Amino acid sequence: MKIFKRLKIYWLYWLKHSSMSFQTLIATRLASVLFMSGKLIRFFFFFWFLLILKTRLTLVRGYSFDQLIIFFLVFNLFDLISQFFFRGIYWFRQEIIFGTFDFKLVKPISPLFNALTKHTDFLDLPILILVIIMLIIKIPTITPLGLFSFALLSLASLLTITAIHIIVASIGVITTEVDHTIWIFRDLASMGRMPVDIYIDFIRTFLTFVVPIALIFTIPAKALFGLLSLKVIIFSLIASVFIYSLSLLFWRHALTKYSSASS
Amino acid sequence: MRKYFQIFKTHWQSSFIYRLNFIMWRVRTILQFFGVYFLWLAIFIGQDSVFDYSKSVMLTYVIGTAILRSFVFSSRSVSVGVEIANGDLNNYLVKPLSYLKNWLARDLADKLLNIIFLTVELFLIVLIIKPPIVAPISFSHLAIFFFAVILAMMMYFLFSFLISSFTFWYPEHNGWPLRFFIFMIIEFLAGGLFPLDILPAVAFKIFRFLPPAYLVFYPIQIYLGRLDFSQIVSTILIMLAWLLVLYKLSRIVWKKGLKIYGAYGR
Repeated sequence: MKIFKRLKIYWLYWLKHSSMSFQTLIATRLASVLFMSGKLIRFFFFFWFLLILKTRLTLVRGYSFDQLIIFFLVFNLFDLISQFFFRGIYWFRQEIIFGTFDFKLVKPISPLFNALTKHTDFLDLPILILVIIMLIIKIPTITPLGLFSFALLSLASLLTITAIHIIVASIGVITTEVDHTIWIFRDLASMGRMPVDIYIDFIRTFLTFVVPIALIFTIPAKALFGLLSLKVIIFSLIASVFIYSLSLLFWRHALTKYSSASS
Repeated sequence: MRKYFQIFKTHWQSSFIYRLNFIMWRVRTILQFFGVYFLWLAIFIGQDSVFDYSKSVMLTYVIGTAILRSFVFSSRSVSVGVEIANGDLNNYLVKPLSYLKNWLARDLADKLLNIIFLTVELFLIVLIIKPPIVAPISFSHLAIFFFAVILAMMMYFLFSFLISSFTFWYPEHNGWPLRFFIFMIIEFLAGGLFPLDILPAVAFKIFRFLPPAYLVFYPIQIYLGRLDFSQIVSTILIMLAWLLVLYKLSRIVWKKGLKIYGAYGR
């Protein structure tokens, strides 16, 4: 019962912050429209690029273009979810360098939760809805088992994305560098727009075992096509829990290094 | 001229204050390049030619794009919007210098720094991934390519300055929303992800006359020898025309903006 009460507090806390983020967007309507249009343009241009390639090519490393489009949509799904919920990380550096993070440490809410979810990016919501609709339309005939493994691996993906954001926040506490770290991750993540299998061995290994882009984007998408063995599914689930646990340990370690500079 | 050289020198020195910032920026540039390069490399597996581009020509295009983006798109004039929005522009208005030239000097310092880093990176990239680079078909093509790149840099500088000038009318977020929106369009219409001539004919006919196409796509087409003499001449003439239009437009918008400038934030 106590855990439900605690969850309710976090839920209300997130709702309050989200409503404030939304009000900020409403206050600067033109800016919001421009940002949203820019994001839509980026999405549509890449989608168009895939459709153009489809007119001349049939396969890329054994994947059809219809499959590549699904990979692209799944990439967007998880990328947008992380943008939607974890936009707060882009403001975290300021709290560290100004020392205002002190105030978060003394509050009865996890400072990590606050750092990650303090801003909810509603500008990503229209594309997120669009991506979900496109996925439902485009998705191939899927077996209940395929759908179940996709759902399971989606959880693994979200857990890993959360872990990456925790690691970035931890690096921020230790070094005061956040912006570039998260952008470097996003640049690497953009390689997940396509299945990592299409890249050369070195890049594929890097995107699988060093920065788990494959675990976040490629593996859940593959589940939709029934391309995964049980061994890979189990390994992915264990890996995501392991990475998440490591990230929490790293966060705890980072907090011991917090110098409260400028406060 | 000397005062602008001093600004150039000062900005050059100040670039080394935030070394980690700059290095991280360069790391990101390389990662973005890898993303596009390895995507095209995968597309060419089992294909000799795609959209009339051979593998070596396409990969040279991708590398060329990364190089050009590094110094055509590297611009400090994004801060013009910040200075307008927070009122720091006042400091310049009372000084005996041209604000436009001041930013041009800073831009050139930034581009020089990027070129130096790029040279080292390019050497390492060639050493590691050994890409099949196509040489220009003649020395004259190379010379015209360099000329086109200079025009492209000037075009982008004026374009960037023009976008920042709109902050006079809409200072929210330091003018960043409009810049973000325009840059999303430029990214693709400049040919950063793919050459524009793979687009459907109708789309290419429209986009080929817009300024972004002359920032990256056309200069590389000149380098690759994919344009004949008359096309090269028309390309250069269009670039000069756009340069003139952008210059005039940026002057007009700047003057109109100054009239409504309220120095808010000071």
